[in-house]
Amino acid sequence: MAEWTLLEGVNRAFASEMRRDANVIVLGEDVGVNGGVFRATDGLQDEFGIERVIDTPLAESVIVGMAIGMAAQGLRPIVELQFMGFIYPAVDQIINHASRLRNRTRGRITCPMVIRAPFGGGIHAPEHHSESTEALFAHMPGVRVVVPSSPARAYGLLLAAIRDPDPVVFLEPKRVYRLGKQEVEDSGEALPLDTCFVLRDGIDVTLVSWGASIKETLEAAAELARVGVDAEVIDVATLSPLDMDTILDSVARTGRCVIVHEAARSCGVGAEIAARLAAEGITSLLAPVLRVTGFDTVMPLYRYEDQYMPGVHRIVDAVQEVMGYR
Amino acid sequence: MNIFKLPDLGEGLPDAEIVEWHVKPGDEVSEGQTLVSVETAKAIIDVPSPQSGRIARLYGKESDVIDVGRPLVAFGDDIAEPSEAKAKDSGTVVGEMESTEDIIPEAAIGRHHSSSTIKATPAVRALANRMDVELSMVTPSGRDGVILADDVRRVARILAEHGPMEPLRGVRRAMARNMAQAHAEVAPATLLEDADITGIAARSDITPRLIRALIAGCKAEPSLNAWYDGHANGRRVLERIHLGLAVDAPQGLFVAVLLDIQNDDDDAIVARLAELKGKIKQRSLTPAELRGYSITLSNYGAIAGRYASPVVLPPTVAILGAGKSRDEVVARDGEIVIRHILPLALTFDHRAVTGGEAARFLKAVITDLEA
Amino acid sequence: MQASDIHFETTEFLDSSGKLLRPLPAMLSSRDQLVELYRVMVQTRVFDRAAINLQRTGEMGTYPSNEGQEAIGAGIGYAMQDDDVLVPYYRDIATQIQRGVLLEEILRYWGGDEWGMHFRHQAEDFPVSVPIATQACHAVGIGYAIRYRQQARAVVTTCGDGATSKGDFYESINIAGVMGLPVVFVVNNNRWAISVPLEKQTAAPTIAHKALAAGIDGYRVDGNDAVAMVQVMSDALQQARAHRRPSIVEALSYRLGDHTTADDANRYRPREELEAARALEPLIRYKAYLQAGHDWSDDDDESLYADCVAEARSAIEVYRAFPPQPAGEFFDYMYARPTADLEKQKQEWLTQVKRHG
Repeated sequence: MAEWTLLEGVNRAFASEMRRDANVIVLGEDVGVNGGVFRATDGLQDEFGIERVIDTPLAESVIVGMAIGMAAQGLRPIVELQFMGFIYPAVDQIINHASRLRNRTRGRITCPMVIRAPFGGGIHAPEHHSESTEALFAHMPGVRVVVPSSPARAYGLLLAAIRDPDPVVFLEPKRVYRLGKQEVEDSGEALPLDTCFVLRDGIDVTLVSWGASIKETLEAAAELARVGVDAEVIDVATLSPLDMDTILDSVARTGRCVIVHEAARSCGVGAEIAARLAAEGITSLLAPVLRVTGFDTVMPLYRYEDQYMPGVHRIVDAVQEVMGYR
Repeated sequence: MNIFKLPDLGEGLPDAEIVEWHVKPGDEVSEGQTLVSVETAKAIIDVPSPQSGRIARLYGKESDVIDVGRPLVAFGDDIAEPSEAKAKDSGTVVGEMESTEDIIPEAAIGRHHSSSTIKATPAVRALANRMDVELSMVTPSGRDGVILADDVRRVARILAEHGPMEPLRGVRRAMARNMAQAHAEVAPATLLEDADITGIAARSDITPRLIRALIAGCKAEPSLNAWYDGHANGRRVLERIHLGLAVDAPQGLFVAVLLDIQNDDDDAIVARLAELKGKIKQRSLTPAELRGYSITLSNYGAIAGRYASPVVLPPTVAILGAGKSRDEVVARDGEIVIRHILPLALTFDHRAVTGGEAARFLKAVITDLEA
Repeated sequence: MQASDIHFETTEFLDSSGKLLRPLPAMLSSRDQLVELYRVMVQTRVFDRAAINLQRTGEMGTYPSNEGQEAIGAGIGYAMQDDDVLVPYYRDIATQIQRGVLLEEILRYWGGDEWGMHFRHQAEDFPVSVPIATQACHAVGIGYAIRYRQQARAVVTTCGDGATSKGDFYESINIAGVMGLPVVFVVNNNRWAISVPLEKQTAAPTIAHKALAAGIDGYRVDGNDAVAMVQVMSDALQQARAHRRPSIVEALSYRLGDHTTADDANRYRPREELEAARALEPLIRYKAYLQAGHDWSDDDDESLYADCVAEARSAIEVYRAFPPQPAGEFFDYMYARPTADLEKQKQEWLTQVKRHG
């Protein structure tokens, strides 16, 4: 078994599925000859040719729109939008068409496609390259939103996304693209969508997170363990549809929940989880549900982006606060 | 194609039920010919055709209710002929927007600040509920004044030692409620003064003289015999005096009412008081005898106490309190003498009564007592 | 160099009086074929009127009229092959009915029921597209799939003059051009985008000029002339299918009706302009041509209209008799399989319905 970075997990998933299914087509800007600006599609055009790995003109709306047409014809297009900051011209196509085709034709025409974008801050990029607006898509009925946080889950979840008969917005946390490796088997086996992954068992507090913030959340759990607080860590992975059963189950045992996400606080996906806890888990709660998040501001330019992003200290502080409720 | 809509059948009736159709699709009709009989809330009405022409379609079966303004009959051909132009600008380009001339009866209201400052999580509240502990009795030990589960358990233990709480009923409950309301609303001010009642023969009960003096006070300053409505910001100064007499009974405090007492002479007052005492003993006071007082008298001095600031009960604006009378050394004409002194306390609602009015009232009371 | 230096010929076969200016196209030369094309236009006209009447009587929701533009749709549908794909906007009834879409399905959609887009006899054509010009992108993707699979098929996508101002339109013709995709972009230039006239929409001398920017072919045709439409569409589709040459076909017409049944064009359009345009509408000249050149009598015409009226009436009866959707069906088609949350929400909703009726 090889050891892969998260990025390599993405790349291997592509290769594996494109060998298995000739209907899988990759399209986007710079994905072919250049292998993608992050090399996510590296080597694919060499192996699969220019008809299956397409360097498109610079036109996000039609790139996603044509993928809808391709999917309607039974191909499995995977669109790369170079950064989440450039997904916005395509939101019209995603929300007005991709998310609705099945419903408005009562299943006559469907839209099996994946829209991938690197997202999140922390790589000292210029402005507009550090977006975390996953809540926009989590709010849309008819699309799935999937966020891997590790090489194994990047591989397995991307395979699942490609095979899913409905549109998936697949957001890749670029800060951890190359931060560490994992042993992953190139088995072609998909991981399940619509389910959380429990990364650490604990009894005192449930920490819920996704994407790059999982890294800080696990570090916070380790630090808390040293002072006798035993934290359970859950990787949500599929933000929509949300697997609340796993989270409710955990909070029923711990009674406390802290949600960690890099995205801005107000109306983020953390708010949905907190609302669901209030509706369905109120009798389990011993303490308020806290969110450790980015702020309701634009992410500062890179020199100050650390001030915005939720670090280990903020997570530990929040846990200490909820531990104060007995 | 022309669509004839159900016209307004008069008197603003909103709809009508189809009783009987007199035509069917394909019929040629002439203007004025009866198309249909409909029943409104008031009558059965025959609806005449607005035009001559061929009936294309009927909208509704017998027993259907049709709203005024909705299609009733189509003339001409509903397929081959274009329909008439729309009557007015719909003000939209898609869909159907409802519009009415009704005035919208709402406006933003000021925010009321929450008075509850009890902080406890739902789990702790549920625990308190299960353990029958009132959170208002629990001193919080958590950060920021938050009640913790242990706090609830502690109070539960204490209460278990001291027995269950006695819920207030009847007269005690009414007192708690009324006093709280008075405290929240009234702006009390108290005048204290003494009356020299050496001239009044030592009797067992000074109440009849107090009542007489109070009547004199009301005649001198009627504004203390009034009802004040703080919400409507208005008052009624009453000509008739309905005296509320504070009564200390085994079951608690209540205020018995002597209605229309302004013209009673001394004997009448004595007689009414005796009657009242009898009723109190037999617990046979009716609700009417406990309501509607316009000024209150409290003779707490019959038990103990010199001066007080008794509570004004809305909607009244004054309460006169009499303390325990005693012999006192006073200065008179440069000489030290012993006189029998009755301490008096007048509390009034300063929202409706001025200090001057209260002072004049009290002076008249004292003048009558010293007469 | 200025845009107006380039000139696009407007193809015409029938002038406004119905006189044939050039020999008929090969695929439209027999009386039967000519009458069939006429029937499609008459059916569209009759159905369109009936649909408006349904809306006026509260039996159907907002509806966009096709009046005056029947020749465009008729010509497109006539020239398309069965296995081509149509990606329409919302004034394409004349094309759709030639490709298996039922009149009652069209009513069902505008009557507010999604099953109206579940065409029982047309598997691949896209449903109506309401967001303007977005469908051009879908057509490009379908064209790509066709090219990828090396099929001898083409895609026709339609839109109005207003749509050609949108980014999606430009992006689509651009990518179709650079990738050589078999897509024909038909622009129904009926001169009005709700209340915005063509002169306020673009400075391009013709819409066909926009093809130049994308490096693709441009055609211009009299959209009131069904014969010309058939010819030009055949040419464009041939180029697309056989040579992977995408194109813009600009069809000139006039929107005789309001934008939709909720619009009132009298607010912004001069009556004289409307009446002048009405004199040029496609059915007038086509009927005159049939009468003069193919022995078409008044009886024939009356009979044809009666048939179309009967068909429309029958479709309306079917529409009226459609059963309502099963309770809560709107939860069932968001994904291939409803999610756990959707199942829960549906149960919540069903419970409330039971309680409150």
